[in-house]
Amino acid sequence: MIEIQDLTVKYQSQKEIYTALESINLAIPDGGTCAVIGPSGCGKSTLLKVLAGIITVYEGEVRVDGQTINPRQQAIGFIPQNYGLLPWLTVDENIYLGMKIKQHQKTMDYAKLQLIKEQLGIAELGKRYPGEISGGQQQRVSLARAFLLKPDLLLMDEPFSALDAITREEMQDVFLSIWEKYAVSTVLVTHYVEEAIYLGQKIVILSANPGKISRIIENPLFGGRNIRQKPEFFELGLSIRNLIKKDWSK
Amino acid sequence: MEKDKPLWFLLGIVIFFALWWIVSKIIMLPIVPSPFLVLANLAAVFMKYIAIHSLYSLWRIAAGLFLAVLIGLPLGIIMGYFPKWDRFLSPLIYLTYPIPKIALMPILMLLFGIGELSKILMIFLIIVFQVIVATRDSIRSIPKETYYPLYSLGAPFGAVFFEVLWPASMPKFITAIRVAMATAISVLFFTETFGTQYGMGYFIMDAWLRVNYLEMYSGIIVLSLMGLFLFALIDWIEKRLCHWQYK
Repeated sequence: MIEIQDLTVKYQSQKEIYTALESINLAIPDGGTCAVIGPSGCGKSTLLKVLAGIITVYEGEVRVDGQTINPRQQAIGFIPQNYGLLPWLTVDENIYLGMKIKQHQKTMDYAKLQLIKEQLGIAELGKRYPGEISGGQQQRVSLARAFLLKPDLLLMDEPFSALDAITREEMQDVFLSIWEKYAVSTVLVTHYVEEAIYLGQKIVILSANPGKISRIIENPLFGGRNIRQKPEFFELGLSIRNLIKKDWSK
Repeated sequence: MEKDKPLWFLLGIVIFFALWWIVSKIIMLPIVPSPFLVLANLAAVFMKYIAIHSLYSLWRIAAGLFLAVLIGLPLGIIMGYFPKWDRFLSPLIYLTYPIPKIALMPILMLLFGIGELSKILMIFLIIVFQVIVATRDSIRSIPKETYYPLYSLGAPFGAVFFEVLWPASMPKFITAIRVAMATAISVLFFTETFGTQYGMGYFIMDAWLRVNYLEMYSGIIVLSLMGLFLFALIDWIEKRLCHWQYK
């Protein structure tokens, strides 16, 4: 269970104090997914950075299973927009980085590594470097790193936005299938309404200046495959879009 | 291409000697002897006289370089990663970097004697600034996002150092060494004209004073081959440590 209570984040810029997030309240059940959607500059990424333990100065409470969030105690998988692969490590080393740091495992457990790579369709890429593989493949490597760790919390910052439309849909399916196997609580940030509906059990709509939750939608369509073709998918998309338009034009 | 590299080196050497030979034919003075005479002389005296001098010079460069890396690399990484250290140390570096180090030679000789230490420190002083500044800038240019996966894993500083800072600073660090190396060799030559009987600088100056131009040129060729060897060594190390860059 992930609980966020009265979370407020302020940035100190040169002269003024800027409020990035204001009184965020949110609860995500274990093994659930939550898609956060909002305009640019609404503090989506700030929210993720707080959950990832990168921003440590904030007001309010953020707890994972009752404990205040702390990357040294909980296992947190964080997939930044650029996938966060280190260019000087091979694919295998990149995937294993999480285990190496979190569980101090010096030697690779090749069986586990091979399994996760097969599940993500990158079994052949182990010895390559990130610069040698495509964006979609980098994304898979990044997912492999996160899931191998069996994290308490998985965070994804616009994970599929740099991919072309076809690869994006493919990666969304890859994500869902591996997420079902590992049942990891996930928060993902996106600016695509369709992505939020496809991947989010809960859809949180943020508004900007300061970033506030304007609405939380329990997504009835989540988990169904091939929902992209269904009329309900379009209807929900349309209604969220209208909500957003009203909201963001304020 | 990679396999042809020695061939290209050979071609460069051939062109160099051809130009030299042409110049010697035009000038026709003992001060520019034919390269063939010089090579013959080199072959005759290398083991007898020159080898020991080149070893001394190599040792001084290696020791100075080692000290510069030992101090410059950690300092550069700390300054790049912790802005507070940079704020404190940058003015010091910027004030002392432009001082022509060769001007400090008399002071170094007074403080550390005219023996090995002052020569090694001279080379150290020349290389260390480039190493510090290049390493610091390479650390600064790492995008913040690169650290995020490690931070979110609760990585201690040691892990951040070995996983990110060290490999990320490597390419620019090696470039800095490469740039500084040429200067270091020139300065080494200068320092070896004082207070020593060994080193390529001593050998070349000595040959010059004895008006033995063949030996002088032999010494210059050895010095330049030493440079070639050092650059090739740096290239090789770069290939080993930064092979990911070429992918």
